[in-house]
Amino acid sequence: MKALIISLILTGIIMAQEVVELKQPNSTKVVVKLMFKNGSISDPVGKEGLTNLTAELITQGGTGELSFSDIQNKIYPMAAGYYSSVDKEVTIFTFEFHKDWMEEFYPILIGLITNPSFNEPDFERVKVNQQSYVDQVIRASSDEEYSKKALEDFLFRGTNYQSMVEGKSSSVNSITLGDVKDHFKKFFTKNNLMIGIAGSYTDEYLNKLKSDLSKLSDVMPEIPAAPNVKISDGIDIEIIAKDGAFGSAIFAGYPLPITRSDDEFAALMVANSYLGEHRKSYGKLYQMIREERSMNYGDYSYIEWYNNGGGNMVPPSGVPRQSNYLSLWIRPVQIAKQLKAQYEELKDINIGHAHFALRMALREMDKMIKNGISTEDFEQTRAFLQSYIKLYVTSTNQQLGYLMDSKMYGRENYINELGELLSELTLDNVNNAIKKYMQINNMKITIVTDVSEAEVLSNSLKNNLSSPMSYSNLVKAGLPPEILKEDSETENFKLNVKKVTVIDSKDTFK
Amino acid sequence: MFRYTPILIIGLISIMFTSLSAQDQKILPYPIYQQKLANDLNVVTIPFDSPGLAAFFIVVSVGSRNEIEEGVTGFAHFFEHMMFRGTDKYSREEYNKVLKMTGAGANANTSLDRTIYHMTGNVDYLEKMFDLEADRFMNLKYSEHDFKVEAGAVKGEYTKNFASPYQQLYENLLNTAFESHTYKHTTMGFFKDIVDMPNQYEYSLKFFDRYYRPEYSTIVVVGDVTPEGVNELAEKYFGAWQRGNYSLDIPVEPEQKGIKFFHLQNGSIPPYLSMNYKAPAFSDSKIDMPAIDVLNTILFSQNSVLYKKLVVDEQKLRFLGGSATDSRDPYLISIDASFVSKDDFQYVRNEITKAIEDIKKNGVDPKLLQETKSNLKYSYAMGIDNPSAIANSVSHYIYLTGDPESVNRLYALYDEVTIEDVKMVASKYFIESGLTIGTISADEKGGVE
Repeated sequence: MKALIISLILTGIIMAQEVVELKQPNSTKVVVKLMFKNGSISDPVGKEGLTNLTAELITQGGTGELSFSDIQNKIYPMAAGYYSSVDKEVTIFTFEFHKDWMEEFYPILIGLITNPSFNEPDFERVKVNQQSYVDQVIRASSDEEYSKKALEDFLFRGTNYQSMVEGKSSSVNSITLGDVKDHFKKFFTKNNLMIGIAGSYTDEYLNKLKSDLSKLSDVMPEIPAAPNVKISDGIDIEIIAKDGAFGSAIFAGYPLPITRSDDEFAALMVANSYLGEHRKSYGKLYQMIREERSMNYGDYSYIEWYNNGGGNMVPPSGVPRQSNYLSLWIRPVQIAKQLKAQYEELKDINIGHAHFALRMALREMDKMIKNGISTEDFEQTRAFLQSYIKLYVTSTNQQLGYLMDSKMYGRENYINELGELLSELTLDNVNNAIKKYMQINNMKITIVTDVSEAEVLSNSLKNNLSSPMSYSNLVKAGLPPEILKEDSETENFKLNVKKVTVIDSKDTFK
Repeated sequence: MFRYTPILIIGLISIMFTSLSAQDQKILPYPIYQQKLANDLNVVTIPFDSPGLAAFFIVVSVGSRNEIEEGVTGFAHFFEHMMFRGTDKYSREEYNKVLKMTGAGANANTSLDRTIYHMTGNVDYLEKMFDLEADRFMNLKYSEHDFKVEAGAVKGEYTKNFASPYQQLYENLLNTAFESHTYKHTTMGFFKDIVDMPNQYEYSLKFFDRYYRPEYSTIVVVGDVTPEGVNELAEKYFGAWQRGNYSLDIPVEPEQKGIKFFHLQNGSIPPYLSMNYKAPAFSDSKIDMPAIDVLNTILFSQNSVLYKKLVVDEQKLRFLGGSATDSRDPYLISIDASFVSKDDFQYVRNEITKAIEDIKKNGVDPKLLQETKSNLKYSYAMGIDNPSAIANSVSHYIYLTGDPESVNRLYALYDEVTIEDVKMVASKYFIESGLTIGTISADEKGGVE
């Protein structure tokens, strides 16, 4: 540490920088997060994926002094870790290391950010991976993730939010190493950086970090504004026909004019949690579609972007966005081809469960909009959230991440402030927020399904055909009358569908 | 740029080890309190500085390994679902309501050897959590209709998983690599059995009666608690739980006598190769598994010679990784590689084999061995910074040996691994006759020998 102090003296005056600190002297580790307020929205047209490729090349490349493999050798005994994450509006580099290695790891951390090697072989390696992600992996590895990314493409079409952060087939292909170097200089600068540090670091360490990061490019980056997307007129659906899909994976959504910045967000959060809390059996959608009818693995609603919902139980930090939307996630439901093969009594059906599931989800949301929620549901859901939001920040990494995100929304400590907002809420606040922000008539929907299901589903949706639920006899025999009654009301529930398009999976993300 | 000489590095690492274990010689730097109730239910408490927060886990030693009868694979996992279907005291709706009021993060998951039920939340609600869990573990009651309905959710889970070709590869791998042992099927179960689940209500009652018993279970509480407080709650709520009398007889897997291959024709993802050797069962007293972990870390970490050659320099691979799964019975050491071109399958297969053969003959560099031990220890230490992560980690060792102290014994064993041990496990387990190779590519055949 002595070396660090001497270096500090030599460096002289340190510029005022945006720093978020979380001192935890008893912790055995240190977490550093460097957040550049620059995400995929600043990718040039035709070069979508450039910000992500730049960030990946930094973490998958070397420094001026050390190659990627040299770094791996050095950090091996430390088990230190680092990675980048890119979203629409931010790029974050996270470094986690044990306090024992604070000094040894420092040159790697600072070298990667201020002096990345950006060489051709590393570039080729990283680009091949990103290319195969946009060409193949996104379409083939999870239909749920595919339908989610496809919804963003649909919802934000024609704007700088449209593309996946990884880009699309043609744009990734056109990115050169020169583009990366240029992009780094223009958009990863000391003028759009927020420094976050947590754990058992010292003041000297932080001062050294601040000093060295002030050597980043001095360019004032021109970050484009986040898009202001208009709500669609009616329900517009894109069905992605994929060869060999085992079910129908559904995502629906529409733009939402508020974010965590607004105090009213807390009221909407209660409504959303009641309707479809992520991965919880308390949500109405989950209870109706999964628990009572066992149509799929789960059904949830969201009022902000939720990264990797299949893997995360609580919302991860690092995805602050100004352009927001509400979404519904209906996990894959059965298609006719599978149901026919499984149950003799269903051999004559020609459509699976997607249309019915969608109707059920929207009808349930509609009921909430029309009736509001009850005092009891309000009290229960609020009590749940008051405790549950504290679980968002149990690890040092998440605590720091949430504090940094707070700044992006003009808040100091979102989780604490949210706790206060929740405690001040009234039932009227929640029911007013529902009326103001929730609706079912105008939205965009993507459905990834099997080729055999696509056209018949399209026809059913387009013409609002009746879509009775097709249960196996085993289940049907025991269904109580109230479920059957609800089903018969749901199967003809009119959706405000204006347009349905079937797209070949091969033509997505081109 | 200052560079450490090898000697300096070894010196430095030994200092670091001292530092890592300064508070305690154990890798888990918190005392583990254990109390066995009269009914054999083990209660584990680990006080941890997390004001107002506690993680409450129940580990049940039942996983796909226990599914010995034909036609009912996937039942341990199915049962995880059924456990949320209610009791006389707390119906499904009431259970949800009460759990919601606690604001806890609650869920469950099933694997080869165990099912874990977990809740993390406000410690003020810990007694309510005990009440809810004891009630359903002792008094679960569901109708035949609820049973049939829940089977659909399991099929839904299979449906979402099956979208991934990697999941399809895994399913094929187990079915190919194993002949008799129940590891032949995944935790989800064979699809035909999943479709047939609604017909197995009677079997489900038998399943609950066998395994949801105190002698198969352990309670783990980590966080802002005392052992006295936890033991008192355990006694109050789980003290009346009756022991069962079922003992499990799992078929022994015969020794594999030759290399096996399987291939999935699928051009929708980058070509993929999976090489799998038979591994020993987990043990916290034998050197074999720790030595295999060391060997895998040396062979397949991002700093390894193979990774540098195949991923970084030659760029034949997009990804390379290898590890052994801790399990109660012998399972697999899996080496996985994602390719740029399928034309390199054989080349990469040969390079991996060559690297293994080299270690069998020449051992490993002593400095690298020392660094690997450091890597394993620091990796663990970095991951235990909250009650849920600690509870999860000790639960892992509880289902393997029944004793959470196994984590400390295992990491002590890592320190004892010698170059000879690494050579020994390379020769004993990384053998061609115990190998199963799976491939995914657009071609009709894998084309690997």
